Amino acid sequence: MTTEENDMQTQPAGKAKGGASPFIRLDEGKLQPKRKVDMNSIAVVKSENFNFYYGSKVGVKNITMDIYPCSVTAIIGPSGCGKSTFIRSINRINDLIPHGRAEGKLFVNGHNVYEKNTNLIRLRQQTGMVFQRPNPFPKSIFDNVAYGPRLQGIRDNSELQRIVEESLRAAALWDEVRDDLKNSAFALSGGQQQRLCIARALATRPNILLMDEPCSALDPTATGKIEDLIDQLQKDYTIVIVTHNMQQAARVSQRTAFFCLGELVEYDLTSKIFSNPAKKRTEDYVTGRFG
Amino acid sequence: MDKFFTGLSGFSIVLLTAALLIVLVPMLLKGGSAVFFKGTVEFRKMQADIFNRGDDAALKNEKERTRRAREFIYDSIETFKNGIDPAALSEKVRQINRQFGEQLKDKGIEGEDYQSLRSIARELRDKLIEAFESNDRNLINENIKFVFSYKQDNRLANSGMKEMFAIAEKFSRAIENVDFQKRDRYAQSLGEIEEIVTQLLGPKPGEPVPVLAMARYGATRWEQAEKLKEQLLYPVRWVGGKPGEPLVAEKYSRQEEFKGTAIEPLFGYVDKELSNMLEPRRTFYWQFFIDDSINSHYFGGVGPEILGTLLLTIVAMIFVIPLGVISAAYLVECSTENLAVKIIRMCINTLAGVPSIVFGLFGLAFFVLYLLPLFGAPSKGNILAASLTLAVLTLPLMIRASEEALRAVPHTYKEASLALGAGHFRTFIKVTLPAAMPGILTGIILSLGRVAGETAPILFTGTAAVASIPKSLFDATRTLSYGSYDMAVGDRIAAMVPHQQYGMVVTLILLVLILNTAAILLRWKISKKLRGH
Repeated sequence: MTTEENDMQTQPAGKAKGGASPFIRLDEGKLQPKRKVDMNSIAVVKSENFNFYYGSKVGVKNITMDIYPCSVTAIIGPSGCGKSTFIRSINRINDLIPHGRAEGKLFVNGHNVYEKNTNLIRLRQQTGMVFQRPNPFPKSIFDNVAYGPRLQGIRDNSELQRIVEESLRAAALWDEVRDDLKNSAFALSGGQQQRLCIARALATRPNILLMDEPCSALDPTATGKIEDLIDQLQKDYTIVIVTHNMQQAARVSQRTAFFCLGELVEYDLTSKIFSNPAKKRTEDYVTGRFG
Repeated sequence: MDKFFTGLSGFSIVLLTAALLIVLVPMLLKGGSAVFFKGTVEFRKMQADIFNRGDDAALKNEKERTRRAREFIYDSIETFKNGIDPAALSEKVRQINRQFGEQLKDKGIEGEDYQSLRSIARELRDKLIEAFESNDRNLINENIKFVFSYKQDNRLANSGMKEMFAIAEKFSRAIENVDFQKRDRYAQSLGEIEEIVTQLLGPKPGEPVPVLAMARYGATRWEQAEKLKEQLLYPVRWVGGKPGEPLVAEKYSRQEEFKGTAIEPLFGYVDKELSNMLEPRRTFYWQFFIDDSINSHYFGGVGPEILGTLLLTIVAMIFVIPLGVISAAYLVECSTENLAVKIIRMCINTLAGVPSIVFGLFGLAFFVLYLLPLFGAPSKGNILAASLTLAVLTLPLMIRASEEALRAVPHTYKEASLALGAGHFRTFIKVTLPAAMPGILTGIILSLGRVAGETAPILFTGTAAVASIPKSLFDATRTLSYGSYDMAVGDRIAAMVPHQQYGMVVTLILLVLILNTAAILLRWKISKKLRGH
């Protein structure tokens, strides 16, 4: 890979074989990025006039927004407005789409990810992603969580065990599965599977967590657990969450972005968006008059 | 309408089952008789001689018992023959005459004595031959009488000539009841009888052992023996109808034909005592699956055929599985849907439909005659070339099945893996491929069946009807499919041992079934693991 010494903030774990843990243990079961990011420093994700096209169709256009560290940013908007397109552009998972094309700049941890020399593997290790539907691999619970660390070259079993336990604890799943790590992930319930996916994303030690409607396939109890989890994780991670559920956005996020027809209509503190939006369209949407 | 469709599908299921049963049951029965059958003492003799199997002491007793039971057959044939076969008798008499001359010389008798004895011997010989060949009873009696008049002559009676008198005596007794009008017919029929008896009981004791193993033993299987008995007792003759109409087969009784002659009791004896002569016993000949065959499958089993089939299948699979999966991976993962890919896919679909004999000729032209000689292999059919040809034949099938399987892997697995920082290759190896494994195994199962059963592609590329057990991949081999084909086309022996042919076919079916069951079990295990139970 060409960008070994790029300016991304965190270093990928595991490259230092057999070295110290990639995690800093602050206290029991908590995960912490190596370098604590100052709340008031520059944005972790920063897009400048970002466009994405599906062939000739516009996905998102002219998005300019900053996403701040160690907070939850919610993206809301009607269906087809480009929320998912935008969040999936951040870790470039949209590259899989044939005829997809991006324009403009999108910085993650200070590096424009749409530059030619971007190390995709490193980018994706820094940006964990949780998908709409729980998508564990058809492997055991342990192997699911250990998938990321193993990719990073960690082979030592006790090391893997520690990472898996920490990740599962961080995802509030450890107590439920501690005795069944060898069982298939498919034996878990939907909510547990989604938390397993979160644990799997955390195990690569990202500093950004991208959540693409993580609760849309879950029942209210499981949703509540995930929301609690988001609440805990936001201390340590920058979380971007796409949601259809405006109550959820209001509950979990500090900032909210409203997308409509591929454009960013309004982006502000959550309290402001829901109580006193600047734009008429936002007000119409959050009060349920359209969308 | 619903009921109509239910009925229709039910009917088609019944029809299919019936068709399957009609095809399979007789085949299984006939093939099964290669392993389960009633073996005669001849079978046990053969097993002991050729394969060194069986209980020697018990076999010795059996041999003795059957020998005694058989004596009557040989005796009655011999007696009858004396009255019926002028050529053989004449030859014998001539021989005795010659030997007599030598005996005289050995004894030192010379001069006039010698001349007179010789001339008497010659005269006796001529009279006897005349009698043998004559159909006139008076002449025969006269000649025999003349011969007997010298019986008291000490010079003759104590020499080799006494055999001549014995023959004359036997002959005179044998012809008492013989109808001279039928003598030619008898001679012909006797030839048939002797041939059938040889097939039934093996060569006559005391005769030299034949070189060919199949001629050394009689009927080894009871059903064979019964067929021969039928031929012996009730042969078929073709009777002419009106002119212009085809001849009609008609069974007649040989016992009737030989009524009143010395051989008549033989038929009743064979009818009653055949099982004592052969001692049939239920036999489970499981060694059929490991034995080499003797005299083009007249005896023995299909061991080398099974080995060859397995070898070809496994080597072909070694080529076809990686190639098929890699090609499918390219089509699914690496290529965007452009013109080249469309052409490739069209080619694969076309190749899947090409007749297998075309692949056979391709294999001959490309692998056998061109490619392998480049690496120093002799340009003759060999296992490697045959396996490669089979691999090419089944590659389209494998690619299509693998492609379907890889496409069926949920997109979310791939996304999840990529989002965790895995590259495309790692994602394919660690996530997509394991998840597609059941589908790929289905492709392997289909290919296995095809490869194991194909005949045309290996016809020119690596099989032989007669081949030793292969020592390397550059030897030709026998296979079950080719063996069945070879026995079906114009092999005289195949008609005599249909159980061998059906046995081969059933073995092939069993072999494919076993391979498939193994693959299905594996698939079941993997998909169970994937489903998470």
